[in-house]
Amino acid sequence: MGALKKNVEIKFIVAALMVLFAAFLAVPMVIMAIQSFYGEKGFTTGFYSQILSSRGFGTSVVNSLAVSMGSAVLTTVLAFILAYTVNYTTVCRFGKRFIRIIALVPMFLPTITYGFAIIYAFGRQGLITRLLGGRQLFDIYGASGLMIGYIIYTLPISFVLINNTMGYIDKKFLVVSRVLGDNAPRSFMTAVIRPLSGTLTASVMQCFALSFTDYGIPNAVGGRVHVIATVLYDQMLGALPDFNTGSVVAVIMLLPSVASILLLAFIGRYNIRYKNVTEIENRKNRVRDISWGTASAVISLLVIGIFATVFIVPVVVSWPYRLDLTLDHFRKVFADSELSGIYWNSLFVAAVTAAAGTLVVYGSALATARSRISGVCRQTIDSVSLVTNTIPGMVLGIAYLMTFTGTSLQNTFVLIIICNIIHFYSTPYLMMKSSLEKLDETWENTAKLMGDSWIKTLIRVVTPNAVSTLAEVFSYYFINAMVTISAVIFIVGPDTMVLTTKIKELEHYMQFDDIFVLSLLILFTNLAVKCMVEIITRKERKK
Amino acid sequence: MLQLRNIHKSYADKVVLDGIDMDIRDGEIVSILGPSGCGKTTLLNIILGLTECDAGRIIFNDKDVTEVPMEDRKFNIVFQDYGLFPNLNAYDNITYGLKNRPGLSSKAEVDELIELLDLKDHLNKKIDQLSGGQKQRVALARTLVMKPEVLLLDEPLSALDGVIKESIKERIRTIARKYQLTTIIVTHDPEEALTLSDRVLIINDGRISQYGKPDEIIMTPQNEFVRKFILHQLEIKRNNILELFGGEGVASLGFQKG
Repeated sequence: MGALKKNVEIKFIVAALMVLFAAFLAVPMVIMAIQSFYGEKGFTTGFYSQILSSRGFGTSVVNSLAVSMGSAVLTTVLAFILAYTVNYTTVCRFGKRFIRIIALVPMFLPTITYGFAIIYAFGRQGLITRLLGGRQLFDIYGASGLMIGYIIYTLPISFVLINNTMGYIDKKFLVVSRVLGDNAPRSFMTAVIRPLSGTLTASVMQCFALSFTDYGIPNAVGGRVHVIATVLYDQMLGALPDFNTGSVVAVIMLLPSVASILLLAFIGRYNIRYKNVTEIENRKNRVRDISWGTASAVISLLVIGIFATVFIVPVVVSWPYRLDLTLDHFRKVFADSELSGIYWNSLFVAAVTAAAGTLVVYGSALATARSRISGVCRQTIDSVSLVTNTIPGMVLGIAYLMTFTGTSLQNTFVLIIICNIIHFYSTPYLMMKSSLEKLDETWENTAKLMGDSWIKTLIRVVTPNAVSTLAEVFSYYFINAMVTISAVIFIVGPDTMVLTTKIKELEHYMQFDDIFVLSLLILFTNLAVKCMVEIITRKERKK
Repeated sequence: MLQLRNIHKSYADKVVLDGIDMDIRDGEIVSILGPSGCGKTTLLNIILGLTECDAGRIIFNDKDVTEVPMEDRKFNIVFQDYGLFPNLNAYDNITYGLKNRPGLSSKAEVDELIELLDLKDHLNKKIDQLSGGQKQRVALARTLVMKPEVLLLDEPLSALDGVIKESIKERIRTIARKYQLTTIIVTHDPEEALTLSDRVLIINDGRISQYGKPDEIIMTPQNEFVRKFILHQLEIKRNNILELFGGEGVASLGFQKG
């Protein structure tokens, strides 16, 4: 019949998204895959055999798998302890708030900084080493350093996942289980661990994928323990860059990450959703509170101990030899027009990434959650979200390097911004989609009957009711754009340096004071944005 | 007059509506009654223009509106969950459509509606601060401001309790009479349908089971379905209530004796 008007605007948005995803996701990934097979002499599997038989490559892969898996499990255990203390004990309010903040702080700093912070905390002259009377606890260069770095890096995401699910688990389970005669360990298993099992597995998979593909931490503390990320970096930006073998390593790096994320999506289907959660008071239990509280306090203190160096090192004259307080390092950085220029670069990239990224995510979610587009389009957008979650930043960066070198996009801010938008697309898209799905589905029709066009309804009704999620999406993009290094390191140019890539450069010259000053700039900028968003969302909630 | 001619609709292989024919006179209140899944909401959406029918015609005042888009039909609806916009207060919700069609209702007309629906004290309230009955009245006012020629109500009473239900019923009747407004109501509750409307359309499995005035349906149910599922329910209710009052009557009598 076709009498009823179809939504032209949404079709336009979907078309624009498809072009974006094709040009900046599908094409680069395909080009990279081809590069791994196609050399000067045509199609060959030679690059694969070259890499697979090269000395040390197998060890690097095994190192990566083992250390990432180990730290993923440990992170999940630690995050569980923190989340349990927050949700299931009667530890004082201040304590719970403190734990929440500590668990999230690492998010606001680049991973490359953690590596240096670990050196300054546990190294021979490190803060914690000195506090312990000069005895070094362990060799920080190698597996243990990597492990600590990965744990700090992935603690926030693991905590958020577990803490969210715990919020949804019906606390009455505990009461019911006890009333039915279960003893304490048994009721802990039935009422806490079992409903959480999906999330715990998800946390391990997600932490594994993040650690496996991170470059910042092994760059700083890897030492002689080579991992796949450092191998990949050396292949692409080392002494003898080789695009063909580089893309082979990238493809190999992609595999475990794809496997873990697919498994994650698979588990997601079995997640139990508990609706109508009723608040219930936790029973008083001193033994429980003291033991969980102490464990959480120790974890928090370790995190603080490591990050304290980031604050202390730049405010003393010369760690660890001259500990007089000074602001000289800050003055020097601010006086250095190159460094301050790079700060503005970073701020610009993060702000535009956040603004444009929010638009892309909003458009996508409007299409899938609030319109009647075809199933194919809906599935395409959903799978783009899944795919971007599986592609490590390094792989995306390398694919961009191969695709856009020689084009007018090479080394431009535009490319860096698009790279960030695609790289971090998954989480904000899912956030936005679930929030739009919760809004009353009749609004568009109701408003249309009162004379609105689609755009008008979007401006007058849908957007005002999505403000807090839009703000959260904005801050997610902003913070990640500020701290990311893995993808952008391959595509920044001399004029488009950002703070994280500059830190990598400063490391070369051992200028750690400057590194920490820049890290603090990143931290405070992120905290400022986070606070602004918090104010907006609180205000919205109050309304 | 609104006429439906041989309306058909199926989703995939499932036939939802199978040849619906009915006439609705101007100013009449008609309820569409049936069990869940019988196709009554689909029929309402087809009249509204939200859903396209596979076959059949919709004729309004001798004009074929089957192909006219929803927003040009001059029909309007209050959805089951009211669809109020929480970012606006009650008054801004009520006058929402006037931003698009200034002057469609005059200030005096809006005030009259507010008076009629007893919303004066709630105009500055946020939607979350309103009770269910107040929300329903705001939604009604918002729709009536648009001066629809046919008013559609999807389960308008299902979320309301006892006394509020009766007062909303009363208001719907008042409005329909005052504005001579053709009103079509979807409901699953026989008591609601039979006490509120001039005529009731009973649908079962996508077909018309009976279409008539409430007393016709009570006195001369045309088939087993109407007798079993519609009347039987009402009889149980009647007996329950009579028993309650009967018991009370005896008790108070006993008290007097003592």
